[in-house]
Amino acid sequence: MDYTQITPDEQSAMLEVIGAEGIEQLFTAIPKEIRFNDTLDLPPAMSELQLKRELAEMAAHNHGPHDMVCFMGGGAYDHFCPVLIDQLAGRGEFLTAYTPYQAEASQGSLQAFFEFQTQVARLTGLDIANASLYEGATAVAEAVLMALHHSGKRRVLVASTLHPDYRAVLRTYLQDLPGDLVELPAEGGRIAAQTVRRELDDEAACVVIQSPNVWGLIEDWDGCFGAAHERDGVCAIAVFNPIACALLRKPGECSADIAAGEGQPLGVPLSLGGPYLGLFAAADQFMRKMPGRLIGRTTDAEGRAAYCLTLQTREQHIRGAKATSNICTNQGLLALRATMFMTVMGKHGLREMAQQCYHKAHYLAEQITALDGYALKFDGPFFDEFCVTCPKPATQIIEAAKRRRILAGIAPHGRRMGRIGDENDLLIAVTEQRTKHEMDALVEVLEEFAT
Amino acid sequence: MTSVMETRPKKTRAGTRSIRPLARGDRPVEPVIFEKSVPGQRAVDLPPLDVPRVDLPPELIGAPVELPEVGQHDVMTHYTHLSQRNFSVDGNFYPLGSCTMKHNPRINEWAAALDGFAQLHPLQDDDQIQGALRLLYETRCFLQEIAGLDEVSLQPAAGAHGEFTGLKVIRAYFKDIGQPQRHIVLVPDSAHGTNPASCTMCACHAVTVKTAHGYTDLDDLRRLVNEHGANTIAAFMITNPNTAGLFDAKICEAADIMHDAGALLYLDGANMNAILGKTRPGEFGTDVMHFNTHKTFSTPHGCGGPGAGPIAVGDKLAPYLPGPQVMMAEDGSFYFDRDRPKSIGKVRSFSSQFGVLVRCWAYIAACGPDGLRNVAEKAVLSANYLAARLCNVYEMPYFDPQKGRFCAHEFVTVPKSLLGKGVSLNDIAKRMVDYDIHPPTMHWPLRDCLMVEPTDTESKRTLDHFVDVMLQIAQEIERDPKALAEAPTDAPIRRADEVAAARNPVLVWDG
Repeated sequence: MDYTQITPDEQSAMLEVIGAEGIEQLFTAIPKEIRFNDTLDLPPAMSELQLKRELAEMAAHNHGPHDMVCFMGGGAYDHFCPVLIDQLAGRGEFLTAYTPYQAEASQGSLQAFFEFQTQVARLTGLDIANASLYEGATAVAEAVLMALHHSGKRRVLVASTLHPDYRAVLRTYLQDLPGDLVELPAEGGRIAAQTVRRELDDEAACVVIQSPNVWGLIEDWDGCFGAAHERDGVCAIAVFNPIACALLRKPGECSADIAAGEGQPLGVPLSLGGPYLGLFAAADQFMRKMPGRLIGRTTDAEGRAAYCLTLQTREQHIRGAKATSNICTNQGLLALRATMFMTVMGKHGLREMAQQCYHKAHYLAEQITALDGYALKFDGPFFDEFCVTCPKPATQIIEAAKRRRILAGIAPHGRRMGRIGDENDLLIAVTEQRTKHEMDALVEVLEEFAT
Repeated sequence: MTSVMETRPKKTRAGTRSIRPLARGDRPVEPVIFEKSVPGQRAVDLPPLDVPRVDLPPELIGAPVELPEVGQHDVMTHYTHLSQRNFSVDGNFYPLGSCTMKHNPRINEWAAALDGFAQLHPLQDDDQIQGALRLLYETRCFLQEIAGLDEVSLQPAAGAHGEFTGLKVIRAYFKDIGQPQRHIVLVPDSAHGTNPASCTMCACHAVTVKTAHGYTDLDDLRRLVNEHGANTIAAFMITNPNTAGLFDAKICEAADIMHDAGALLYLDGANMNAILGKTRPGEFGTDVMHFNTHKTFSTPHGCGGPGAGPIAVGDKLAPYLPGPQVMMAEDGSFYFDRDRPKSIGKVRSFSSQFGVLVRCWAYIAACGPDGLRNVAEKAVLSANYLAARLCNVYEMPYFDPQKGRFCAHEFVTVPKSLLGKGVSLNDIAKRMVDYDIHPPTMHWPLRDCLMVEPTDTESKRTLDHFVDVMLQIAQEIERDPKALAEAPTDAPIRRADEVAAARNPVLVWDG
């Protein structure tokens, strides 16, 4: 079924009004030589009932956090999401609206995005935020482009402890542009302020550091960004996890100028990696260089509070080749989910969620390292994710855990993680959703491999 | 700021309310969520911690985040009220040109929310996600067939991201064949703003090609190729049907000009809705194109996203597509191929807008090949019908059925005679809001134009209603053009002061 509603009789009447003899006459602009007269080689149309069967069948062939216990992280986390978010974000008035170009017809989404911008600014401890970008890695790339543009310089200092996908995306984005990527080596899984200081020179545009980093370790943002600011005009870019921001020191508290991160933990389903949510916040001075939509608060003709898209002269539809970014469609509905999530969890709920992640991750780390042959790979502080070196290759342990319906974690040595780390490394994430019972079950699996 | 107490009726002494019926245009302002915060309120709680607490070094701890504290019921009413202040495809005719605001089937939402799709971790092993990989692989094949091209990458997150990815692929191809100097991309003056902006992000130089009577001026295209030198040209980036709502019949000639110069043809697929099953980009010389699933394949627009912008390419460009690529093995199983040595690399984390692509698959599977062709026919029929009924009052520069000049799936009108009576285009658009119709795209691709795209899913009844409204607005202009400056009078707000918003930007709540 194709969802069209015009009947054959109506079509005839409409063609008559148009003055066309048949529907084909409306397509005469397409030259005969390039007309497609065949039938597309696609499966025949399905009814809704058939679709339901077919889709349910495909979905049933997948296993994941819904029918297994998930200790996987690596940039996407299995957090709790209150049911009312599905209900509210699924409302057709949100689901089927578009970019709020017409303020008077879009006050609902505009106000929600204004509230979202406020929440993201508060979460990151920075002055302003935009109304979303695609996802974490492209948000970081946009932050770097903004810093390059802002500084007029070309060296980009990036922590080697930044998620490998993010580093790969940065490489793609900078490939043809005047921007040179310099990777900051890590010591003990973290970047030392001294390393930042050593690599800085007059051509440095920005320093990019993720915390918690790819190993789950909490980086020394204060020290590194402090070092960055010893030179004028170097932007400190913090790559953050929004849940960690509810407990740990935030980018703004550590003198970051720009913060970019993945918003998926804020009520966005794991969904095999997308659609996710790029979060982007910055200090006031970047307001006119920000990528993406910005919502401003104003008044209407009667002086009542009203909201509209603003500073659009930064954007592609006005500025074309000179725009601050090419982004048009963003991740509106996911931004809406995130703002609802932050509201529902609230000031104390989100902090408690972060605390539970912290305590649970540390409980599990303690249980695992008590086993013979297991140790933490690094001894730095961590939040909700940590890397253990195992007595056997991580892939063997992951396979064994699968048979017990446990997703034990990620092998950072694998292709999917850009082959960082060693064969015996296992990266484990623990969210507030994991119970003591589930963690003990994972420990039992690991115990079978203990030396 | 109007507080809720000022605008809602107060309780009388007797405890009864004096209730005033509220017309829509008289609704109280919805306070921001932060104003509704009451210390100690919770909307949801977590189970008690079931493991011992450990010390958290105080130097790591940050200040609490000042998020609102609101009870569950007030959260529901807040966002319900906000939703009621929105126009949507579900509730309104939404003929926003170039955006293809068609009906969003709910079976698609049901599918994307299935646990077996929504609850998959992006780094899981291929053997655990065979159903998802099959869906991605089939989506890839569907789009390859619809494009008439050889290989599709599902990675780009939206149309503009598809443009970026496609241009990166073009750059990589030319570098690989020893022609890295090709950096000029020719773009019509009527192009989507994303086209030149994407060029800039790929270090390509966007050069504007003139259009004449709505079509690309091929002489200008040739002139620019000669002027800049054929060996500097990377591609011509064209939307077809174009942004004036016309199928550019000289597309093959334009493709030949590019190919003769050793350059490529990039198709912006924003308007694929008009040609589904009627012609295929591969048939008219396209080397690279992007789809907008949220336009052509009914995935919802969600107040601005998420979309998905898969790209399709011919064989010679396939090695440069971003990784990972979903593949089918000889034994019929599916896997992600990460071994693509010539790939441009990654353009996003993980692999795709999977949840959007589930909806895209469901739509294509529902329509089938005949349905997709019917979609194009109904989209074009509806646009021509509206144009035919309105063209005597709303002038249309490119529409003249008597001369066989039809439009594709959308049309532009520059209502000169109405504008000559002392109203602005904005007045007309804002008046449409009073009639519950979302205004069309404005001032693009022509100054003072409205671009109307009714899509394939509207009923004749809705189309006729739209015509009635537009003719009535024209009559209102005849009667009292000044009155339209007040519009909208029956919307959640009166006209928003966008100038003040830009002059003194308030981007966050500071209460």
